[in-house]
Amino acid sequence: MASANPSLTLTRLRIHAPSPLIIVAFILTGLITLPLLYVIFSALTADGAVWQRLWSTRIPELLFNTFSLAVSVAVIDLILGVSMAWIITRYRVVSSTLWDWLIILPLAIPSYVLAYTYTYLLQRNGPLEQAWQIVAGSDAQIFSPFSFAGATLVMSLNTFPFVYLLARSAFKNFNISFEEAARATGASRLSTFFRVSLPMIRPSLIAGLFLAILYVASDFGAVSMLRFQTFTYAIYQQMTGRFDNTAAACLSMVLVFFAFVFLLGERWFRQRSRFYQTTGRYRKPIPQACSPIQNLCFTGYLGMVIVAAFGLPVYLLIQWTLDALAAGDLSPGLIGYVGNSLFLAGITATLAIVIGIPLAYLACRKHTWGSLLCIQGAYAGYVLPGPVAALAVLVLITQLAPALYGTVIVLLIAYLVHFLPVALQGMESTLQQLSPNLEEAAKSLGARAFQTFSQVTLPLVRGGFMSAWILVFIQCLKELPATLLLRPVGFDTLAIRIWLEASEELYQLAAPPALLIVAMTTPVVLLLMKKGSQPVSRNG
Amino acid sequence: MRFHCIHKVLLCSITLGISLLSLPPLSFSDDTLVVYSGRAERLIKPVLDAFQAESGITIQMLTADTTALVNRLGMEGERSPADVFISNDAGTLERARELHLLQAVDIPGIEGAIPQPFRAPDNSWIGLSGRIWVVVYNTTLVKPTEITSILELGQPKWKGKVAIPSASSVYLQTGVSVIREIQGDTVTKKFLQGLKDNAGTSVYGKNRQIVAAVARGEVAVGLVNHYYINRHLDEHADAPVAQLLPDQGENGMGIVLNAAGIGITAHATHLAQAKALVQFLISTKGQQMFASGNKEYPLNASVDAAPELVPLKSFQVANVPLARLAELRDPTMTVIEHVGLR
Repeated sequence: MASANPSLTLTRLRIHAPSPLIIVAFILTGLITLPLLYVIFSALTADGAVWQRLWSTRIPELLFNTFSLAVSVAVIDLILGVSMAWIITRYRVVSSTLWDWLIILPLAIPSYVLAYTYTYLLQRNGPLEQAWQIVAGSDAQIFSPFSFAGATLVMSLNTFPFVYLLARSAFKNFNISFEEAARATGASRLSTFFRVSLPMIRPSLIAGLFLAILYVASDFGAVSMLRFQTFTYAIYQQMTGRFDNTAAACLSMVLVFFAFVFLLGERWFRQRSRFYQTTGRYRKPIPQACSPIQNLCFTGYLGMVIVAAFGLPVYLLIQWTLDALAAGDLSPGLIGYVGNSLFLAGITATLAIVIGIPLAYLACRKHTWGSLLCIQGAYAGYVLPGPVAALAVLVLITQLAPALYGTVIVLLIAYLVHFLPVALQGMESTLQQLSPNLEEAAKSLGARAFQTFSQVTLPLVRGGFMSAWILVFIQCLKELPATLLLRPVGFDTLAIRIWLEASEELYQLAAPPALLIVAMTTPVVLLLMKKGSQPVSRNG
Repeated sequence: MRFHCIHKVLLCSITLGISLLSLPPLSFSDDTLVVYSGRAERLIKPVLDAFQAESGITIQMLTADTTALVNRLGMEGERSPADVFISNDAGTLERARELHLLQAVDIPGIEGAIPQPFRAPDNSWIGLSGRIWVVVYNTTLVKPTEITSILELGQPKWKGKVAIPSASSVYLQTGVSVIREIQGDTVTKKFLQGLKDNAGTSVYGKNRQIVAAVARGEVAVGLVNHYYINRHLDEHADAPVAQLLPDQGENGMGIVLNAAGIGITAHATHLAQAKALVQFLISTKGQQMFASGNKEYPLNASVDAAPELVPLKSFQVANVPLARLAELRDPTMTVIEHVGLR
């Protein structure tokens, strides 16, 4: 789910005297939400002329672009994700376990890396156009990567595994009796699929789509590489092209407003659309054997998508890296960039877990208005795309603690605001699975609160917390916009190097750091998938 | 439990170790000069490396968008670690001067080296290299006689045939500022509207890409800084691209000339080293690197431009002082956004 939430029922809310835990949580939440509040404040107090200028020149176009990109990506994700999940769960395709792993791999490629390989592939007279000309005649042209179609292609190839993962688990846990009943009453295979199977897994599909849409709306890397004007890119442009940040704050507020409405909508939808097994027996679907022709078609289809989303980009990165090695163009600072990336990601992930513990604990164990407020506040980072988080931290720091500006600390704060929700989500769902009885038993035996937590709770949730740590870690590794805007002097990360080189179309120079990020991210993505955890949910 | 205690301890210590190793220095040593650079790294780093080799002064460079760096200098105030600010646009340098982000300095011999219009009166910024905004055309698709003015590129006849820089390009902003100053807002808006329609999706973030697109024949013409054409020809000698100087003649508005330059920041802590860098960059040796490596126009009159360039004195330049570019910038941005350039 985009944001797991404690399953709160209002009847269980009680008014408590504030405990130390609540106070700590309040302070942490306050610090996390302050940047967001400040951005909203500066947007609301902006000069009317700025708003008028933005309404007449930018906002309608940005709304249209962002929405249409999100919708088109969602539709393609739906087609790709559902069809692939159907093939994997319902047919015994050759080496289907292997496919199951491969389909996840696109999540290991940062969106801006995929985008930059596609600016090469789709360029005029580029490899794809030449291939297309063999089929369609020598005058045939392919669409430009710097277009709506280009942005849609790249973002879809980057996000369809979200829908796939959710659709797959829904199809796997599907009660086959429903389909059998439909078939028995004379429905065709096709109409059974569209009228029974698909509607039944609707909640999972919606969740996957929400995830993909949120990802598209908050992505900065791909749209800026492809110069497709969405909110995040326009905010960055306002920050880097103008001598004041008011317009950027205004655009941020519009985006935050829509993201917020969107999240509320998602929650509402999720609560409405639950399906339950009421009567009858549950039977698992059994994958059918498939004919050689079916096998060929399925394998070809799966292979094509994975080559486009992972194989081809990675092949290019390897090729370019080898070229750079051969030409002696490998940047001497590469080790330093790796160090900087690991440093930032490691510290942020650890801090996110440490800060997340009281918040997640509160969310799962203390159902009060205060805890509800805290946890919702901490999730505010979800509606803050990278450039906005950077802007928010920037304006706040320059007001409150200007001495910190230009240090690593500012960057760490921006990362935390941005990625704390990722950690919280994982930690919360882990804590929820742990029965409070265990803790109560420890307490009844005389253990104190802290002792209970460190000796009973923590050892039991260690695995889940570790997953959360890893998730935050790889998100930070890929982070681009906040790092671009806030990095200290001499503190380039891998992502920054990719960006600087790729935006000059210096493919060979951008490839080694890109390959390193993909190599570091891939095992983590696979590991998380094996653990059955939620996959990566956001990107730079 | 998948992660055993021992693994966790191991992982934590590895992380911690790496973290400590890569901890950035909180302050730079006395000999390190901190440079904020708004120029493409490829164009400025070789020159800075040469200075580093000659003087033994280490340079730490932060590359970012030139306007973003001015914002950053402003927000950092007196805590800024930057000693010098290098920009690809004289207007931005002038803006930084107006915001009191740069300091007046006395550089011996500067009067003889860099002529007056290319530096601030108090030397708070100093132009280093000149560039002109020209039309690049594909020699197999276009005859040079077909274009006399940049404004013609907004005419319907060029639909689908023009490549332009993106709206955030400081070169485009400078060019539009100059056109507005001479032709007025109505003509400028009409021109930009036409340019937008003609360019379609051929909007590029980097001049390099525009020249490459013209060379491949994707578009017939493009608007770029002159040296990107020469640099492209250095790498691909037989590429069908050439430079065209627009707006010449009696009634022509002249060519947009801009300067990349340097300023010492108001709160520089390494003043002596910063001055040494400026002195190196205006010296014959430094200027020759801009001339031969980058194919820019050296602003030191005693250094010759690369032989393949049209001599700076031989064409008509638009009569808008570099310092004016600073105040023209904001209204120009509004015009650009109003027309809806990308």
